[in-house]
Order: sequence, then C-alpha cells, then structure tokens
Amino acid sequence: MIELVNVRKVFNPKTVNENVAIKGLNLKIEKGEFVAVIGSNGAGKSTMLNLIAGILSPDGGQVLANGRDITALADYKRASFIGSVFQDPLSGTAKSLTIEENLAIALKRGHGRWFRKGVNRKNRQFFTEKLATLGLGLENRLKSNAGLLSGGQRQCLTLLMAVMANPEILLLDEHTAALDPKTAELVMSLTRKLVEEMNLTCLMVTHNMKQAIEFGSRIIMMHGGEVVVDVSGAERQGLKVADLMHMFEQVRGEGIEDDKLLLS
Amino acid sequence: MTTYALLGAVEHGLMFSLMALGVFLTFRALDFPDLSVDGSFPMGAAVCAVCITKGINPYAAVVAGGFAGAGLGFVTAFLNTKLKILNLLAGILTMIASYSVILRIMGMPNLPLLGYDTIFTPIENLGFSPQIAAIIFSACAAVLAGLFLIWFFHTDMGLALRATGDNMKMVRAQGISTDRMIFIGVSFSNGLVGLCGAIAAQSLGFSDVNMGIGTVVAGLASVIVGEAVLSSRSVLRAVIGVILGSMIYRMAIAYALSFQIGDFRFSPGDLNMITAVIVVAALTFPGMRRKVGVGK
Repeated sequence: MIELVNVRKVFNPKTVNENVAIKGLNLKIEKGEFVAVIGSNGAGKSTMLNLIAGILSPDGGQVLANGRDITALADYKRASFIGSVFQDPLSGTAKSLTIEENLAIALKRGHGRWFRKGVNRKNRQFFTEKLATLGLGLENRLKSNAGLLSGGQRQCLTLLMAVMANPEILLLDEHTAALDPKTAELVMSLTRKLVEEMNLTCLMVTHNMKQAIEFGSRIIMMHGGEVVVDVSGAERQGLKVADLMHMFEQVRGEGIEDDKLLLS
Repeated sequence: MTTYALLGAVEHGLMFSLMALGVFLTFRALDFPDLSVDGSFPMGAAVCAVCITKGINPYAAVVAGGFAGAGLGFVTAFLNTKLKILNLLAGILTMIASYSVILRIMGMPNLPLLGYDTIFTPIENLGFSPQIAAIIFSACAAVLAGLFLIWFFHTDMGLALRATGDNMKMVRAQGISTDRMIFIGVSFSNGLVGLCGAIAAQSLGFSDVNMGIGTVVAGLASVIVGEAVLSSRSVLRAVIGVILGSMIYRMAIAYALSFQIGDFRFSPGDLNMITAVIVVAALTFPGMRRKVGVGK
C-alpha cells in the first residue's frame, strides 16, 4: 500500500540549526490497517505524515504507493488517493466559501476542474445526505460560509471532505488535538465510522496513548526520527496504556515529562 | 458639479469597472496583490491603438488588447510560481518591463486615434452623442463582465480559484494546483484590465505609454468603496459592489475636482493624492474598517 524506503529528511541542512527529522525510516503500511503513530514532540511523526502526503519531499529514500514510486509526485497530485486532515481545524476548509462549495471542491478531487457549475441540484442532494449523517444540523446550512462554523464543526466537515472523493489512504495529523474533549470524541467516532464504512487505510498521529490503543490496529512509536516500537497482530491484543508508557520510558531512557501523554 | 462632469463620471465609472473587476479578482478573490495591472492597462491600449491604425476592426482590436494584458498577467504568474519571486515584486518587474515593450509596440510614446472608426462609432451612428455612446457601450461591457465573473466564480474552476485565495493548504490537500490557479487568475485579471485599457484608448482618442500610472490604486479604491457600500458577503454582492464602487469613486473624484474654496481648487494633478487619501481613509478608519470587513 504505502511504503517508506530508507527515507531521510533534514531541516536546515549544513547550518548550525541542522535537524535530522527522519533518519533512514523504513515503514510498510498494509491495506486496511489503522496505524496510530505516537511519540514525543520532535519525534518526526508529523514530518513522516507530510512526507507521505507530499507536503515535504525527502532528502533521500523513496515513497511508494501500491509499488509505484511517488517520491517526486506533487502533493496536489497525490491528493487523488490520499485524504488529509490537519491539526488546525481552520486549515481544512475555505472560510469564505459556503459549506456546499467546500464540499463541491472536495467532490471534484482527482477530476478536472473546468467550467461546469460547482454546485448543482444533484450534488446538493448528495451533500445534504452526507451532512445529515454528521448529526450536526449542517445539512440545513448549506449556503452558510464555512467560516461561521465552530472548530469542531469545521473539523467534521474537513473529515467528510477528506474522504469525499474515495481516497485509499486517510492521513490524520493530531486532528483532535485542538478540540475540547467532547468534540474530540465526536470527531473520533466519526473517524471510526468513515474508516470502517469506506474500508480506508488510515495513519493517525496522536499525542493521546488512550486514543492510540482504542483505535490503532497497529501502534507505532517514533523517537528521534526513527520507529522504535511497532506492535500489531497478537502482540497488539491486550496492550494497555501502562504498557505503552513503559515502552516509552524505556525508549527515552528517562521518565515522561510530556504532560500531554500523562494527562490522556 | 456640472451635468457634463456627472456624465463623465458615470462614463468613466462604468468603463473603469472592468479594470476594477480585474483588480478585485486578484486582490480579493485570489489574494494576490498584483501590481502588473499598471502595465497591462497601457499595454491593452497600445495594442488596440496599433491594431486600429493598421486598419483592423476596432472590436477585434479590443480583444487583441485584452489578450495582450492577459499575456502580461501570464508573465507575472510565471515569475511568481515558477521562479519563486515574491508576488508584489513579480508584478512590479512585469510593470517596469512592460513600459519598454509598449514603447516598442507603439514606436512612440503617444499614438493618436483621431479620425479612425472606433467601437463607439456604430452607436454614435444611431444618433447618440459620443459621450452617451461611450456610456451605453461601457454599461454593456460592465454588465457582461460582471455576469461573466459571477458565473465563473461558481464553476469548478472558479471555486478552486476562490479557495486558493482563502486557504492554500486546503486547496492543495483537495488536489488543486495552486500554481495553475495563480496562472489562470492573474492572466484573467490582467486580461480584463487590458480590455479596459483598449476601450479607454478608443474613448480618449489616443494611447499613451504613461496612461497606466495609478491604475492599481484606482482599482483598489473602487473595490474598497464597493465593499463599504455593499458588504461582500456573497460573490453576487461583491461583484455588483465593485461596479458600484467604481462609479462612486469616479463621482467622488469629479466632485473633488469641482470643489472650490476661495481661490483654491484641486487640479487633475492632485488626483493621485486624492485617491491615496480615499484608500488610506477606507483602510485605516476603524469604524469604516469594520464596516468594510478588511481587517478579518
């Protein structure tokens, strides 16, 4: 499905601020997996996600999708089979466009955009049905600007838009981190529903170990730009937050200082 | 203000609304501060004037002027997207370079069009005065351009373009090439400005290499005044606002020029200052600013 082969990413190379974010990363994600990626700040989680999405290009190694080398493929071209949701709830929708216009943009992903009317009666009907499944009442606000929605509503809309054009892979970069607990729960249950319904392969970066255990069919821990723990299958069964914490402490060789991980 | 001055303001307001719509397209819809319009306006005028003196049909000459303007926009977009030059600087470079190109095209700094048939001639032949003919033509052009833009902004491409000016990250995640949108938007915008320059040249009866100075500020003033009059909540309102704003701006200018205290009166040379003051006032005055919705 998605494979990273010996991928390397260095920020500010050959300067005093040189930072090796990803060093020689090898990772193979199979179809249908829900991979939860955990690790402390600066571990390279988001960088890895951005390398897969094509927002960053690696300084070495290859990114493969279904065996095809996509290392040089631009991010907007990868969008035809990759859906992304970012941490900032405002970054996934265009605030000055209406809800239906945002959805129309998402629906056309991977197709040519020419002079057809963006929102027509047929796809408006489709949008209404899709929005109704969110249970937020957005189906009655099709003509409201997306900027009028709350962060949680916008993140739900973003999620819907990310999967609208039937991608194969869904990348979630701490997509609930900026939301209050209740809204985060709503977004996560929507995530689960969409991933299961559409049988998506999913890669989710999270700071929340409980979330990782609850959702990930495979859990990856990153540290210093490398994958240090990778559990799936039988090993994954019965894994608890305490076990992950223990692994994490072993990896770091020190106690956990990151409040976010403890508070979860 | 005399009736003549008022009619002149209406004529210019309608005529220059094409240019204001172009400025709106880049500055507002695409969020690309494009200064190359100061070059594409005289470029459109120059190409149109040369075509007419060569005996080409005046309507075809206007279209040629539009394409010439769009060409400049294409260059600006190329400098910005492919050569990674800052958008403001890319526009300035194109504008500066266009000065030389325009001089080459015309072969002289000023090309008179007196005695040639213009786009207004058929309307004048119906028995209208030149000024009324210009108003009729400009009104048709403004309405057509406005309708076209409203339609365009609702197509798949138009939605993608508006989203590009709003949230590039989202746009790329949705599979849209932001570079392509900048090429389309900036070329289209400068095409409208080129068309406007071509029409203006025929109305004025000459093309001049310096006629583009201040175009972008006048366009921006129209856009801002339009936003103050009609809040730009929807595309429809925003586009109508730009056309209204253009007319109000020209009337304000005409009023200022007819203004007299004692021996003091403004001269046409003060226009740039007046325009700058209008824009600064609209942008900074807090109450106005909130009403205008600029400080999002």
